[in-house]
This record gives sequence, C-alpha cells and structure tokens, in this order.
Amino acid sequence: MNVHPSPETGRLSDHQRFEELVLPHLDAAYNLARWLARDAHDAEDVVQDACMRALRYVGSLHGSDARPWFLTIVRRAFYDWLARNRPAEVVHDDLAIDQAVDHSVPGPEQALMRSDDARALSDALAELPLPYREVLILRELESLSYKEIARVADIPIGTVMSRLARARGLLQRSPLLRAVAEPGGAQR
Amino acid sequence: MNCHEATTRVAAHADGELDGVQRRAVEKHLAACPSCAEAHQRILALRARLQSEVTYHKAPEALRARIAEQARPARRAREPRWRWLSLGALAGCAATVLAFFVTTAMVEHRAVDDLAVEAVGAHVRATLSQHVIEVASSDQHTVKPWLSARLDYSPPVPRLDASGFVLTGGRLDYLDKQRVAVLVYRYRDHVIDVFVRPATARPPAMPLRTLRGFNIAHARGADMDWLAVSDVSADVLVPFVEALAAAR
Repeated sequence: MNVHPSPETGRLSDHQRFEELVLPHLDAAYNLARWLARDAHDAEDVVQDACMRALRYVGSLHGSDARPWFLTIVRRAFYDWLARNRPAEVVHDDLAIDQAVDHSVPGPEQALMRSDDARALSDALAELPLPYREVLILRELESLSYKEIARVADIPIGTVMSRLARARGLLQRSPLLRAVAEPGGAQR
Repeated sequence: MNCHEATTRVAAHADGELDGVQRRAVEKHLAACPSCAEAHQRILALRARLQSEVTYHKAPEALRARIAEQARPARRAREPRWRWLSLGALAGCAATVLAFFVTTAMVEHRAVDDLAVEAVGAHVRATLSQHVIEVASSDQHTVKPWLSARLDYSPPVPRLDASGFVLTGGRLDYLDKQRVAVLVYRYRDHVIDVFVRPATARPPAMPLRTLRGFNIAHARGADMDWLAVSDVSADVLVPFVEALAAAR
C-alpha cells in the first residue's frame, strides 16, 4: 500500500524533517486551503491530506523553499478533494470561468448595501473563480514571488502575470466593492 | 516606454519583481503618465485592503495537534507496548502467556502489529472524542457513497442485521498514513470499528490480537483487508469480520 523503509532511523528523520521544515507553514497551508475550499471543515480535510502526503515525500524536499513546496502539495490535495467532492466546480477553460463570474456577482441593489463593508472585499475575493483566486491569495496573502506562484499553481510565469492582472481587475470592477475601483478608493 | 509596454511592468513593479534598471525605467514612466500611476496606486491600494480587511485563516489548534500527533507514529507505537508489558507483569500468569504471544508476533509481523496498535489508537481516539461516526445511517446506500466520495476506492458496506450486528454509520480515519474507510457497527452495547482498505500485496497473516483490552481481528475478502476493533469478545468478533469479508 505504501513504502515501508525498514530502518527506523530513516523514518524518524523524515518525521523530524516534517516537524522542522513543514509544520511551521501550517498556517499558510490552512489559509490557502480555507480560501480555496471556502469552508473550515473541508479545509481541515484538505490540510490533513496534504500533511500526510508531505510526510511521505519530505525526503525529496531540499533547501529553504519548504513553503512553496508545501503549498504545492496543499493545492494538489485541494484539487483532488474538489474532483472527488464537487466535480461540477472543476472548470478548465476561460470561457467557463468568465460565465462563472457573471453568475456569481450579485445584483446592483445588493452591491449598494454592501459596498462600504469590509466584508464585501472578503465576499468578492471568495467569489473569484478558482484560477484567479489562487494566484491572488498566493501573491497578496502569502507574498510569494511570480516564480514561486508558477511552481505552486503549475503554470508558466506569463500566465501567473495575466491571471494576477485579471484577478485584480475582477476585484476592482466587482459591484461588491465599487469603492476600490473609483479613484477615491485608494485613499480610503 | 509607452503605456502599452508599461501595463504589465507596472504590475511587476508593484509586485517587487523588477531589477534595478527596469525599476528605474518604470518609475520614470509613472512620474510622467498619470493613468499608469493611477493603475499602480490601485494595485497597492487593493493589496493594502486585502492584507488588512481579509481574514488570514490560521490553522485551528485542534488541527495542529492532530497533525503533530499523526506525524509521530514511531513514538506512538512504542508507548502502548510499554504500557501493555507492564500491565502484563502485574496481571499474572495468563497475561504473561498472552504477552509472550504478542511479543513473538511482534517480532515476526512488526508491520502488522504496528497496524493493530494504530487501529486500536484510532478506535480509542474516536471513542474518546465522540467522533466515531461522521455519516450516521443504517442504510448501506448512504454510507457507501459518502465514503467512496472521500477515498480513492469504494469499500463494500455489508449488512449483517440478521446476526445482531447493526450498521450505524461510517467515518474516515488514518491507518498506515493512508485515509481508510471505517464502518461502524453496533453489537448489543458494543461499538465495533471495521477498517476497510484494498488488500495489500503483503500477506496480512494477522490472527486475533488483544491490545489494551481490545480485540483486533482480521480477514481478507472482496479484494479488501478487513480489520475489526472492539471490546466484544473474540468469539463474536472473529466470525463477524469473516462474515463481512465473505459478504456479497
């Protein structure tokens, strides 16, 4: 079923490596999973699965890039979880993504009620289509570089840049938070 | 640099991705071009809002504790064995004989023994945390899809009501660092956890085992390994797990 290296010393060092290199990034892992899955319980399932995978492959982790390495695993664990639990939400082409945006944006009257609310930004972020949401979370909340995002999301750097631009544009134009899009928004 | 060239570089500048020469070129353009300067400001303003208004979800303590616990199977597996052996010495002759069998089996089937220790640990944890059942149903057509949706295999969910074993639900647990299906049955006042996972290549060679007062019985059938853990007596548990493995 899985690999059983017989010398216990080898396994022990894997566990130590996991504790020293991976566990410190548990908050980042949970934050990513929580924003992707948009549910606390589901995020815990994803992180738990990711940790088990990380423990198994921690031997292949080298150097100081544990955080992007671990977040890559978290993201994969999330998409596996998504395919199993909400296959309808796995979208592939940009057209489907655009349609998803149009459907998820609330009507103008709703927007008026919420545009001034700090929660509006969280709502708008949560409603971004996954491919845009993940790059924006990785850039603005996890402060990863383009190169690291490209690795975590498994896309070329050019795609990282175009998705980030798209994600920012969608948020700024979202009826949920007109305030950001307007010039005065910057001073708020 | 014209505005068309500047668009992507403005974002890269705001994201700290440019080297000194490129950065100075963009800064020069921003100083001269109000619309690009505004685009730049919008990115910074959005970032400031995202970092101050949006919740950064920290890992819950319970999750952290659970993962730290699961990351230490070697230590966890040794501890109960110690406790068991010291109890055996106190409990006298019968226990000593059992300890002999358990110890012999441990030397011969260490991996299997670790599995038994893990299964008992999982059973105790689930019972103590009152987290035995995640999907409560006596209907196999509810339990089976719930488990299948969360695993990369589909465990059979037999019903043995006629023999007095009532299906009460299922949950996910971890065994051998893998997610496994746990079927929960009730027999009179006893809870029986049944860990079901695809049969491994290694022959299980696992007879009845007693650890910390729990019986563990194994059977193989329908391409699955069935591991039952409970405080019911062995003469109930063994036929039960064999019936499960043989059920169609």
